[in-house]
Amino acid sequence: MDRRKFLLLSAVAVAGFTFAPAIKPAFAASKLEEEVKKRLGVELNAIKEIAEIKLTVPTIAESGANVPITVEADIPVDKVERLWVFVDKNPTPWIADVKFTPQNGQVFLSTRIKMGETSNVRAILQLKDGTFVMATKEVKVTAGGCG
Amino acid sequence: MATGTAIVRVPKEAQKGQVIRVQMVITHPMTPTRRDPQTGQEIPGHYITKLQLFYNDQLVSEMNMGGGVSANPFIALPLKVESAGVIKIVYEDNKGGKWEKTAEITVK
Repeated sequence: MDRRKFLLLSAVAVAGFTFAPAIKPAFAASKLEEEVKKRLGVELNAIKEIAEIKLTVPTIAESGANVPITVEADIPVDKVERLWVFVDKNPTPWIADVKFTPQNGQVFLSTRIKMGETSNVRAILQLKDGTFVMATKEVKVTAGGCG
Repeated sequence: MATGTAIVRVPKEAQKGQVIRVQMVITHPMTPTRRDPQTGQEIPGHYITKLQLFYNDQLVSEMNMGGGVSANPFIALPLKVESAGVIKIVYEDNKGGKWEKTAEITVK
């Protein structure tokens, strides 16, 4: 290999290493952001995280096909419009949404969800005044459950 | 159990004004729509899209979901009871199936 070829190859290699890792996370993040924008009509980074929402998930899930999640909120139910559940890295990040009425008496949801890989779980509450608040927790998945 | 059958669990008795949890398990495959990795063809999923919770024929909660909920979904929702009555869940899937299941509750 002569010097010219070597220089060219090394330049390509360096460019590849610097750009490739930068592209992937940006793409993964935009998928969740797109989904949130489509369904909620607001940007994800405009949603504030608050401590009043209690999201209970296992820290490590053995099987991604069955991850139990429980969402509770210390906010009166008559101030809440809807609860949304998202998983960041699923092929379809949107899991479910529940509409609450004062007859519910409390903001609560317990169910089991599928997770493809280790990722964040988000519970987003839409309040009656049009604002959004959320809680985020990470679940480590050892075996995926999306097909 | 056949697809679409459900078990609804509520406490037998409750106090007036108490918030109870309505627990349900629905038998359903809940397969998401996905692409075949070899051929690239879309494989249609089969999942529940909507679930409604009624209390004495009044709509309390409505839940929308997709293929992201586990097979044979377990769901628990809160309900404030004021008088004895009938709790009913109505649910439908993306292939046109529609079912309902009721449970009764007495109030002291």
